[in-house]
Amino acid sequence: MASSSHDAFRRRQARLGWALSAPALTVIAAVTIFPICYAIAMSVSNVSATGSGFSLNGLTGNNYSIMFNAPQWRYALFFTVLYTVVTVAIEVALGTAIALVLERLTWARGWMMALMLIPWSMITVINAQLWGYIYNPTYGVLDDIFSRLGLGAPVILGTKVPAIMALMGADVWKTTPFVVIIVLAGLVMIPRDYYEAAAVDGAGGWTIFWKITFPQLRPTIALAVLFRVLQAFGLFDLPFVLTNGGPGDSTQSLAILAYNAMFRDLDFGPGAAVATSTALLVVIGCLVFLKVFRAQAGTEES
Amino acid sequence: MRHSSRRGWRRAVNGVNVAALLVFLFIALPLYWMISAAFKTPEGVGASPPQYFPHHLSTKNFSIAFSQFTFGQYIVNSVIVAVSATVLILVFGTLAGYALGRTPMRGRLAVLMSLLMISVFPEIAVVVPLYALLRDIGWLNSYQALIIPYTAFFMPFAIWILRNYFLGIPREMEESARIDGASPLRTIWSVILPQAWPGLFTAGIFTFTACWTEFLMALSFNIVNGYRTIPVGVALFGAQFVVPYGTIFAASVVAVVPIAVLVLIFRRSVVSGLTAGSVKG
Repeated sequence: MASSSHDAFRRRQARLGWALSAPALTVIAAVTIFPICYAIAMSVSNVSATGSGFSLNGLTGNNYSIMFNAPQWRYALFFTVLYTVVTVAIEVALGTAIALVLERLTWARGWMMALMLIPWSMITVINAQLWGYIYNPTYGVLDDIFSRLGLGAPVILGTKVPAIMALMGADVWKTTPFVVIIVLAGLVMIPRDYYEAAAVDGAGGWTIFWKITFPQLRPTIALAVLFRVLQAFGLFDLPFVLTNGGPGDSTQSLAILAYNAMFRDLDFGPGAAVATSTALLVVIGCLVFLKVFRAQAGTEES
Repeated sequence: MRHSSRRGWRRAVNGVNVAALLVFLFIALPLYWMISAAFKTPEGVGASPPQYFPHHLSTKNFSIAFSQFTFGQYIVNSVIVAVSATVLILVFGTLAGYALGRTPMRGRLAVLMSLLMISVFPEIAVVVPLYALLRDIGWLNSYQALIIPYTAFFMPFAIWILRNYFLGIPREMEESARIDGASPLRTIWSVILPQAWPGLFTAGIFTFTACWTEFLMALSFNIVNGYRTIPVGVALFGAQFVVPYGTIFAASVVAVVPIAVLVLIFRRSVVSGLTAGSVKG
């Protein structure tokens, strides 16, 4: 009797759960599901733009075959992957190093944390304009510093490799603080006794980092890496303003390529194929990561 | 303790402090460059070689941003859009976060996973269909063209933050409220919410920052100048022969200050939101 009334209570609670989530889930579903499905449909259809919208005429694999055969797409994929791997690696390594430094500070730690939050909360477009000014060929401060050091005046945004490095530099400046904040919060949670025990055992700083600090931080860092990777893969705002994909196509990310295909060239089918496949890569990456992460967390617990 | 034998300035000069100073310069110098450019004269901004310290301080860039470029309108637009979306997200997101964290609703895990997927979904994949949809219902160039998509796309992450927060609130008071016969909404309002303020702050700041900085949808949906938000305005200042950096940075300082103040005041909430198992940049 008691258990059946308990079951009834649980059922009521479960229904209550759905009732309370219904408004949120309805809004989310209404706005996201249709566009996602429509984008997938566009990517496998013959799309023509009409006066009142798009018309999708019949299934086709053409958009994807155009995409796979386009050197621009292959380069954009290469560039996006390169950009993601390099910036995330630098940001995580540098961010961890900075967090280790800040952890040893006393009164200045709070102020430094506050300073770190400013680039993190800054509008990416503003960051792009700021670095555009720093890299400017005629009155940019970086060229001036280079020439004062006797290194000549490099053409930063006008040449391929320097432009890519400049883009990465702007990203590292804005996003490293995010890693610092997360890692620092993780560091503070590591129990003191671990370090004391290691010090008693005579472990050096380097050993302590790799044997104690890093393993304890790994879940924190892993989540930071996941979100950074997924975000970097959708890279749009920074190159759109700083380099506009140039010089040539050398900083054209997948998102910029898709945007240009759809909004500039009005190639809606192939553009949708690029956008949809980028989203698919992100979703697959996220699922794979969660699976690995869970498996690892599971083995560590047991 | 080790360094206690050292005296005076030598004590301050050690590896940690030097490294911390370098970190400070790495973050602060670009910020200094932006702020100083905003207060230079327009000639000073374009001076070559650059003026490391402004020769003349001026607020001319600010007056140009507000008089010639209607930057005030962009601020109003950004505030309307970001505040509306944040309020909607907090209202709906609190209910959903409570449901996902505290009730035994079926399919919780599936819902949570779908929400996670939506929160990492690249915007570029939905911009064109959303554009077509908004055009069909006549919403292009309006506030709701941004408020509704922002609400939908930024709510999943807020729900995650709120749910994680609700999970940590003890259950006893909720149960005694129920035994006293309080309705579920009443319980949320008078028992859960008072304990959940820090979580709501965190979710609110993240949502507001996301709306305040969003660029791609704002660029695509609102083409008319009167409905542009700050990021779009700042990006399109440059669509001329000479990029008016002084104006851009005056506008940027105005745009960065409110959010920086907000983030600094609530920095505990921000840091806890960044770290409470719900990490996103």
